[in-house]
Amino acid sequence: MTRIYEIRDPIHGFVTINEWERDIINHPVFQRLRRIRQLSLTDMVYPGAMHNRFEHSLGVMHVATRMFDHIREKRLEFLKSQISFTEGGLEKDRMIVRLASLLHDVGHAPLSHAAEGLMDKDPITGKSYKHEHYSAAAVSFLMEDIIENHPLNQNYNIKAKDIADFLKGEISLGRCRLWRNLISSQLDADRADYLLRDSHHIGVAYGHYDLNRLLATLRVAINPETDLPVLAVEEGGEHVVEALIIARYMMFTQVYFQHTRRAYDFHSVQAIRQLLAEQQKGSNLTNKNAFPPPISKENMEDYLKWDDWRVLGLISNGKAGEHGRILMERKHYRTIFETPEIPSPADLEFAKEIERALGDNVGFVDCASSSWYKFETADIPMLLRPGQNDEQLTTLSMRSSVVSGLKAVERTRIYVPMEKKEEARKLVADKRKEKEKMQ
Amino acid sequence: MNITLDIPWNRYALIAELAKRLDAISPQFGKTALQKLVFLLQEVYKIDCGYDFELYSYGPFDSQLLGDLDLVEHWGCVSVQPMNALFGGYKICPTDKVDLVREKAVNFLDAHKTKKAIDNLISTYGALTARDLELRATTVYVERNLRLKGESPTKSEVFRFVRQIKPKFTPEKIEQTIDELSERKHIQLAVQENRGNDQNNSDIG
Repeated sequence: MTRIYEIRDPIHGFVTINEWERDIINHPVFQRLRRIRQLSLTDMVYPGAMHNRFEHSLGVMHVATRMFDHIREKRLEFLKSQISFTEGGLEKDRMIVRLASLLHDVGHAPLSHAAEGLMDKDPITGKSYKHEHYSAAAVSFLMEDIIENHPLNQNYNIKAKDIADFLKGEISLGRCRLWRNLISSQLDADRADYLLRDSHHIGVAYGHYDLNRLLATLRVAINPETDLPVLAVEEGGEHVVEALIIARYMMFTQVYFQHTRRAYDFHSVQAIRQLLAEQQKGSNLTNKNAFPPPISKENMEDYLKWDDWRVLGLISNGKAGEHGRILMERKHYRTIFETPEIPSPADLEFAKEIERALGDNVGFVDCASSSWYKFETADIPMLLRPGQNDEQLTTLSMRSSVVSGLKAVERTRIYVPMEKKEEARKLVADKRKEKEKMQ
Repeated sequence: MNITLDIPWNRYALIAELAKRLDAISPQFGKTALQKLVFLLQEVYKIDCGYDFELYSYGPFDSQLLGDLDLVEHWGCVSVQPMNALFGGYKICPTDKVDLVREKAVNFLDAHKTKKAIDNLISTYGALTARDLELRATTVYVERNLRLKGESPTKSEVFRFVRQIKPKFTPEKIEQTIDELSERKHIQLAVQENRGNDQNNSDIG
């Protein structure tokens, strides 16, 4: 009989795992997530933000599984008759969802998203690698044995490549693409977990929404426009989905885009860039200022040696130069100008004028931008009259004035070194007066 | 995070330009059509717009483009109106302020390379429906994706993936689209070997 283990979790109570999952969790690649903070140096502003990717990954697996189970329970006949699932096929997909959601963040750089800008460019696509590429590479190059050769896998015959392809969203996923929405969509288990978890640790209420209600209203339907199965919400779930989207909007505007927090992202990146250059001096890497690209086992082994402990240790030892010192002494660059969240062309031009006038005193310019809702292509399908003969699919944006009214935020901020703050603020004030006179 | 401020006027102006020029041509220039046209402009006509498209249910998509559209709409340069009460669908129209943002990137829009590319994009794809654009953009995405993996995709390989991603299109329609894109040299297909040909042809419905 398969043994079941329980792990205490501050958000979900208990996360249950089997022996196979326990062995994967005990793998060094996964254990490294204990040493990757979920929110980088957000604790410089919100001292409680000390949680890590390890607990978040367990939470995502837990939520994704609950989502999967609710959908299967509510729409089992539909899954079988309309999408040709069998019980065995569903069991295998459930396991793929569990493993992929558990491993979705194993490729994160130290200090999480902050250092993603230091990932190298893929010479073929010309685009920078993302943490998802590193997660997929870690699974493919380093976790093949623990995934494929575990006794419990005899029931599923899951390959490491299945998990890596799932994480990358490969075009070859086929029917399994439906379940990928559970870890990558506007309704995914990733944001369902991080909003609650980050709020809990930080001590804010912005990210709260009713997870149980959300789960109870999840369905699968066929999109009449594409003939493909989609993750949908029954009409009774409209307001809980609105709450989830607003929770994300609030968390971004109030926490993730908080001006001082953004300054620490900048300083972290500069510090890590210097550490990379220093530590990789003798390596064979083409770009020594970036993390090793996720293209070989050796590169992945080198990459995964980078974690928060190593970075913070090197900073503590004075190896990260000026930005390392700033981090140690909390003497971050100060905001001296910011546009409204949705700037006008005149606001942007004024920002440019301020930047020019400040000249060498500019520390850095930050553009905090995000869309709160993806319309049309990724609009959340809403299932009207589920289970009835006249059941019908529409989209959330067609029903919700709250969602359709949310506009993307594109806030630009200019920062200067702490000692230049007063001088720079005076310059901005003078410029504003000049501008007002001209109007 | 940048050290300096780079305002992406080119991206904003491109949205305004497409809204203006497609107003009388496109059957419905909406959010889907915008995504697919900008994708084709970037991939086929090689105008670097700075977007990073991923494959979603309606084909290539970048949320940054929707964010840019929000901003251009907020400035009053285009209007975005819902068209279909049940399953989405928007129409993007130019307003009397459309030139306000266009003027910010005249050098980009009037540069010979950009102008020629937009002209070609509009004459080739401007009159297509969002549905037809979705199929073409997805086909280009699949071909590029396979090529990036070091493969030289044959017609049947591209067909197989497109059919898998877009089952709503008939096999004949997909085959016709692949042929059309290949003839225009907007995708490159490897010649199939004889033995493979026989097998693969049976796939193409």
